[in-house]
Amino acid sequence: MKQYKTHSNRIFSLVVNLVMLFSLFACLTPFLYMLSLSFSSPRAIINNEVFLFPKEFNIESYRQIFTYPNFFHAYGNTLFYTIVGTAISLCLMVLFAYPLSKNKLKGQKMIMKLVIFSMFFTGGLIPNYLLVSSLHLVNTRWAMLIPFAINQFNLILLINFFKTIPLDLEEAAIIDGLDYFGILRKVILPLSGAALATVGLYTAVFFWNDWFNGLIYLKSSQFPVMLFLRNIVTGTSMVGDAAGAGDKSTIAISIKSAVIITSTLPIIVLYPFLQRYFVKGILIGAVKG
Amino acid sequence: MKKTLLVSLLVLMTVALSLSGAGVQETKSDGPVAFSLYYSDNATLPFKQDWLTVTEVQKRVNADVEFEIIPIADYQTKVSLALNTGTNAPDVILYQSTKGENAALALNGALVPISDYAEWTPNFNARVKEFGLEEDVDALNLKDGKRYYLPSLFDVPFYDGGLILREDLLKKYNLAEPKTFDDLYNVLKVFKQHSPDSYPLTILAGPRVLYRMTMPSWGISLGKNGASGSNTLSWDYDAKNYFAGAISEEYKSYITFFHKLYAEGLLDPEMAEPIDGDKWSQKLATGKSMASYAYYDQIGGVTANSSIPGFKLQMYPALSGPKGAHHQPKSKTGSGIMFPYKTSKRPDFEKLVRTVDEMFFSSENAKLWCLGVEGVTYTNKDGNVVFVDEILNSSEGIYKSLQVKYGCGSDVTQMVWINAREMTKYDANYARINAEVEAIGDVIQAIPPTPKFDDRQAEDAGTLQTPLSDAFERWNSAFLTGNKDIKGDWDAYVKEMKNLGIEKFTDLYNANL
Repeated sequence: MKQYKTHSNRIFSLVVNLVMLFSLFACLTPFLYMLSLSFSSPRAIINNEVFLFPKEFNIESYRQIFTYPNFFHAYGNTLFYTIVGTAISLCLMVLFAYPLSKNKLKGQKMIMKLVIFSMFFTGGLIPNYLLVSSLHLVNTRWAMLIPFAINQFNLILLINFFKTIPLDLEEAAIIDGLDYFGILRKVILPLSGAALATVGLYTAVFFWNDWFNGLIYLKSSQFPVMLFLRNIVTGTSMVGDAAGAGDKSTIAISIKSAVIITSTLPIIVLYPFLQRYFVKGILIGAVKG
Repeated sequence: MKKTLLVSLLVLMTVALSLSGAGVQETKSDGPVAFSLYYSDNATLPFKQDWLTVTEVQKRVNADVEFEIIPIADYQTKVSLALNTGTNAPDVILYQSTKGENAALALNGALVPISDYAEWTPNFNARVKEFGLEEDVDALNLKDGKRYYLPSLFDVPFYDGGLILREDLLKKYNLAEPKTFDDLYNVLKVFKQHSPDSYPLTILAGPRVLYRMTMPSWGISLGKNGASGSNTLSWDYDAKNYFAGAISEEYKSYITFFHKLYAEGLLDPEMAEPIDGDKWSQKLATGKSMASYAYYDQIGGVTANSSIPGFKLQMYPALSGPKGAHHQPKSKTGSGIMFPYKTSKRPDFEKLVRTVDEMFFSSENAKLWCLGVEGVTYTNKDGNVVFVDEILNSSEGIYKSLQVKYGCGSDVTQMVWINAREMTKYDANYARINAEVEAIGDVIQAIPPTPKFDDRQAEDAGTLQTPLSDAFERWNSAFLTGNKDIKGDWDAYVKEMKNLGIEKFTDLYNANL
């Protein structure tokens, strides 16, 4: 153990630590800045006095956004889309990926080609809208959940992961009398925690951040909170494009910051819980191409 | 740990489900007219279902309106999608005009030509006649001679923004109120002398705000927000035709003046980047800039937050340039109400149009959208509007307070604007400036007429417009900052614009008036 503590190694780890500290600082600063803006008074912000710590501490901006009509409603919507959307998505993707991970499946190559094709080429906005509309999904919550349930990239990640599970295990299970669903449920899934956590997190973040599909498919009472956030943050910075009202209205930066904090915090809090799987998961899916 | 996570997820899900609730169901009784409507929501004025104006107007006209609240940043996308696909379109769309894409959609049958149903909109017709806006409204007809929306109507346009200066500094340095652009130059020069590291004149949003507010004093209006929307042409108010403003002597003289300001450090170089409201307030409040082109509404916010003793901003009437004192041209009609084609298939279409007409254009309801309900938000004393104490004494001012608490004065729902009535909502200073501007006469000119293109001509105009506009923006910044010499490079610039077809573009506009 001792030989590691040589002079050059110490310098090396010092440099590594410094670099890490620096990148930590670079990542955290914007967030901290946002946080301190959200707790500062508008006067201090306009006079450019706020840096890393709140000045003239107050929670006025939070009080104000909590009184915005529909803020909590939109928040509830987003939670719903994230949780239900992720659940549906995981179910469908597992059911799709497992058979595709078997080379003996007839037409497997053809199906894979279709999957990859649709990954690179999409129909475009209006055909998509017409499709969703003719399925009678518009103005229903399903429009947020069903069309995006299967993401090709995540699907391929899962397929590759399933391929890494030794076939011998499955053969043993068949001998013990399990059918394919039994194998999936009792053998494959318990071994796939890392992959499912990774894909689940990707999917959850997608549903959490998605505002555009909400905008085009849903009624305003069903809008997710990201659309609300977008309205507050960008709705007023498009000044001048529509000569008139837009130019004249500004929203206090403290309120913008408070909204950003409230709507990004939950998904950020989720990371530490899943990070363990997350890092491992990416590697696992990637090794066997 | 796992269990608590699971439990909390379940709890969250239940909460989410219960919060989400069920959508509004349309009532199918014979009573009120039920219809859905797109509303463009601005975060500074978040829509509330229980605004006094919204509930009261539905009661008055016996309507049951399902408001679809769409964020302003994405409003156009949503409207465009609804009209393009025709499915799931609402019955009524607010805050729209038939400029741009909507014109093509209208001509292809996506919208109801509401001018064909004039007898169903008696209130609208009455307001148009009252304000003498027949010509202005006719100018909104498309190529086929039909009008596809009910525009909002203004009797006299407001002077709601312009030159804003530190009045306390004018007094301190013993300067007279500027009347011409040369006066402004001298004032800025003095400001700069007293604080050499400042840039006295800054701009809200971007150069386009400066351009659209000052160019008319030179007889031109160019760039991204130019009055004609052509970006490079301007309207000759005497000859009543378009000319190639971007290569005119007027523009040359204009850009020479502002290049002088820039070169001497009087004009904020950061204005090339968009300056948003926060940064703009910061510059003024900390004394890094002392003058600006911006809107009156914003003075209050800056003053309240500045820690400079005696800080006072004042707005001044339009300054005189070579072609007189003019401000950004304004239309007496604004964005308004349109009906998707689908709506005309409703059996109660006539009743719906009549209801919408009464809801927004009848004199009583126009007053409601402006002032609120008599006895609740204001009282009438000897013919004068007096607001109730709660509104009079509110810290955010009468106008803002009426907007946020009652939904009055939102430019989405207020369709009838009477200048004198609006002034009751502002302080005496604002009303005084507006009166001064009105006394100068013809400060705010009308928006030049839009040429009536058919699809093909519109395509031609579009193909010419984009490269011309890009070239103009490029040269304009180069002239302003001195990267190109106005005297030395002018001929090369004119040659490039001519090669790009600015003359053909002008002819195309003039041939279709």
